Amino acid sequence: MTAIGKVVATELKPATPHQFHFWTATDTSVGIGAIVKVAEGGTGGTGDGGRVVYGVVTEGFAYSDLATPLHDVVGAEGDPTRADEAPTARQQIRYWTAAVLRQTPEEPLQPVPLGQVYVADDADVAQALRMDTFLFSATPTAIPVGLYTSAGRDSPVYLDADFLLGPEAAHLNISGVSGLATKTSAVEFLLASIFAHFPAHKGRVAAVCFNVKGPDLCFLDQPGDLSDEDRRRYERLEVPSEPFQRVRLYAPLKADGVNLNTLRTHPDLVGDVEPLTWGLQEVVDYAEVLLNRDDIDAKADAFIDFLRDRVLGRTFDDGFGTTHRVQTFADLDRFFRAVFDGLEITAGGRSDTWRTHHIATMRKVRNRLLNISTRCKGLVTDDGPSSDLPWNGFEDRTVYVIDIANVDPLGQDLVFARVVSRLREQLERRELGVDAVIVFVDELNKYAPGDGPETYVKKMLLDISERGRYLGLVLFGAEQFRSQVHRRVVGNAGTQVFGRMDMDELATPGYQVLTPATKSKLATLPIGELMIRHPHFTQPIFVRFPKPPVLRGRDGVERFPPAADVPFEDAVVRQLVRLDRRVRPNQVKDLIADREQDDVRRALAAVRRTRPDDVLAYFRKVLGARVEPEALLREHHAVPPLNPISDEPY
Amino acid sequence: MTWWRALVDAGAVPGRGSTRDEVEAGARADLVEGNELQTHPIPEPRIPNPVSFLNGIERWSVVAYDGVVQVVNAYVAAAVRRRDATGGLHTTFERSRGFAIAPLDRMTPMVRQALEQSVADVESVPSELVEQPARYLEMIEATVRRARARMERELAEEALDDLAADEWLVIDGLLSRSPDVARHPRALGVIKSHGAQFLEGRGLERALTLPAGYRTSVFAVRGGHTRTEVYSWYLRLWPWEGNDLLYGLLRIEARAHPDTVARASALSAWLWTERAPLATPATRWDRLLYPLHHVEEYLKARAPRDLQQRASRMSRLPRLAS
Repeated sequence: MTAIGKVVATELKPATPHQFHFWTATDTSVGIGAIVKVAEGGTGGTGDGGRVVYGVVTEGFAYSDLATPLHDVVGAEGDPTRADEAPTARQQIRYWTAAVLRQTPEEPLQPVPLGQVYVADDADVAQALRMDTFLFSATPTAIPVGLYTSAGRDSPVYLDADFLLGPEAAHLNISGVSGLATKTSAVEFLLASIFAHFPAHKGRVAAVCFNVKGPDLCFLDQPGDLSDEDRRRYERLEVPSEPFQRVRLYAPLKADGVNLNTLRTHPDLVGDVEPLTWGLQEVVDYAEVLLNRDDIDAKADAFIDFLRDRVLGRTFDDGFGTTHRVQTFADLDRFFRAVFDGLEITAGGRSDTWRTHHIATMRKVRNRLLNISTRCKGLVTDDGPSSDLPWNGFEDRTVYVIDIANVDPLGQDLVFARVVSRLREQLERRELGVDAVIVFVDELNKYAPGDGPETYVKKMLLDISERGRYLGLVLFGAEQFRSQVHRRVVGNAGTQVFGRMDMDELATPGYQVLTPATKSKLATLPIGELMIRHPHFTQPIFVRFPKPPVLRGRDGVERFPPAADVPFEDAVVRQLVRLDRRVRPNQVKDLIADREQDDVRRALAAVRRTRPDDVLAYFRKVLGARVEPEALLREHHAVPPLNPISDEPY
Repeated sequence: MTWWRALVDAGAVPGRGSTRDEVEAGARADLVEGNELQTHPIPEPRIPNPVSFLNGIERWSVVAYDGVVQVVNAYVAAAVRRRDATGGLHTTFERSRGFAIAPLDRMTPMVRQALEQSVADVESVPSELVEQPARYLEMIEATVRRARARMERELAEEALDDLAADEWLVIDGLLSRSPDVARHPRALGVIKSHGAQFLEGRGLERALTLPAGYRTSVFAVRGGHTRTEVYSWYLRLWPWEGNDLLYGLLRIEARAHPDTVARASALSAWLWTERAPLATPATRWDRLLYPLHHVEEYLKARAPRDLQQRASRMSRLPRLAS
């Protein structure tokens, strides 16, 4: 091994146990982020018998023996065109500052010896980043995250699964400007790497990804275009350069109740998309999500608890002569109308409370609950049963994509809150089917902002951040501006990843620990390069990762253009055929001709829920029996708005 | 207004400070270019490539006393650094010598034995001046200077043997110390000190008031330090007006050959371009070519730490812990 530099120390810039300075030739492969080794004694950088120190270059300087710029002006006689005519080049220096990554032996901790400096090789990189402890152990937990490519090297860098997915530490946060930081690509590659390298002794793992922007995550099962360099990197990292083998994509329905609300509607692919629809029960459990800060009070909470405990799903007498069994939004609306009518008519308008609940509180809760069925029609069904994720049967190494890109923001919050809460519940009970779940949330600054109201979603994200690692519930969050995300959410992320950053963002206090050179590199980071902080790495490390092996969203919609919404009959046929390829379209169309669309939707939902062997026969049966929600036979009621009243405070 | 402003207004040239070079023995010069020493403007420069530069350093310090006998630790070094096409300098030849200087016959047997056992290279000097410390130290200085000159001469001869077909060797100091070097067609001596006077009368005045970017006529130099005849001329790098007569003034030595006369202007133009980069922070940067300064800095950096600074310039205060 050939020395590329020499440690130097002066009284003004001494070597310390955590930092040292060295010089190199003017023409050197060393740059910001390069990992170097200082060997005391021995030959060829072995450090035999002496101390070996690993460091990462954090700052670089170049200067000459020019005492003052004025001398250069004098030498060129004030003529810039003559400045380069000098026949002799001034003596120059390349002077670098490096932060210590590791010292061996680790005790006693001493200043860095003034030894020769070498470029780190693969083994050195493993040592420097303390990867040897989890890379070469009896039960390795190494997850490749990219290649360290500084100083002309090409060394794999690994994260420790125990610190990425728990239980020691967990969560990953990735920041960077839109488009250039390749946050989504980085997460896609890392998921592929985790699926390939998650150690068997740690059990089964799955990922749940919320697609909140366009078609970003809609084509994870389709192969993308990879360059030879990308394939070489996959080979080097021992990660298959293939799209995800198991992807389950869920999307809510559109307002028509049959067409899917997603950009993955190309005829060749739409069959793989599962509808995501929820009914009243699913929504009421997360009613808090629907209430804004002004709404949250003890009275509203008490009334929601009352509904949940005493009314929903039970036979309930309203005290005005009507017995209710509330199982759908339509049932709920009837219930509210009955109570309000009861107060108006039966009580003669003299009372404004019912069962200790004020009418204004009831109106507020009623408005919030029923409003969601209007704003998120397609996700929330008025009266149909739900179509949901397989909460008891998550599969190993499977990505569950929930496409809520076109859902109302309130509905996105609801989906997010419910899915994450259910994941947590199932993991606590060990009934999810996997031991760890990675939840990927983009636009984290929207869901867990550093300032703003304490929403249910934010509280839930804080809870995952602080306690999720014990359960195996791991948050992979991405955002453009890390400084705008709640400190406890980013602070609890054991692994921090940075793509290209905005200079204004880098000027915020959170980045004070970085040197100006590192900030400058972050601000100009090329696509595919990231800076990583991980509990085992004492300093940030720059790595390159290959382009993800999947079809990018915008490429996906070009290759598989979304289909236009199909007529109701065709949409029903498509869904039934997806469940059973033996189904003949004409038979279905004959069956549903002259039938109420709501009846057909309910029958379809029943088929989806039951998944019978003979789909057409079952569909015919439930349709013929005029499918009703569970037991009660009733006619459909849309949810009409309430008559405004003058003193309505909401 | 100062009183000397009136002199300037009356036609005098403004000055500032003065350069006092050590006066050396007189020498005789015979003009070989024209009948009278003239000033010649220099043409457009053409820089030869490659070029090697030779310089040396000397260090010494009294390190022990055997009674009144001062025992000296001395170090001399010289190096040749070749300039490549990118303007960078790389060492091609280098030599150094660390030695002790003492009047061995005046030393006590025990100290002398210790000296001879611990130092491989001891140069004995006469003991007559031991009781006169100031003159003794002058002798020591001359001894060290001779050692340095000898080393530079040997290194120059070695470098010239290895010189490429179109390569030049520029030496800091006299060319005429070595006959081989003095006769080489592509060796130049660059002299910054002007203690030795070669001209007189009108010729001297023209030389001392030479404008920047001009050279004098070529003359042959004999006597003084000179052992071999060489041709020489003066070259002004920077305007002396506003400074002093010797400011930016170099004397160039080259082999005594008609070609030298023919090439004097072209060589002057080349050396004139060597003004940049400035050899700062050296105090004599106006006369010191940067590559020669560079070689000196290189040698200084490699000199033993305990001889980095001349003892006479060091603080005599007790050394503090910090």
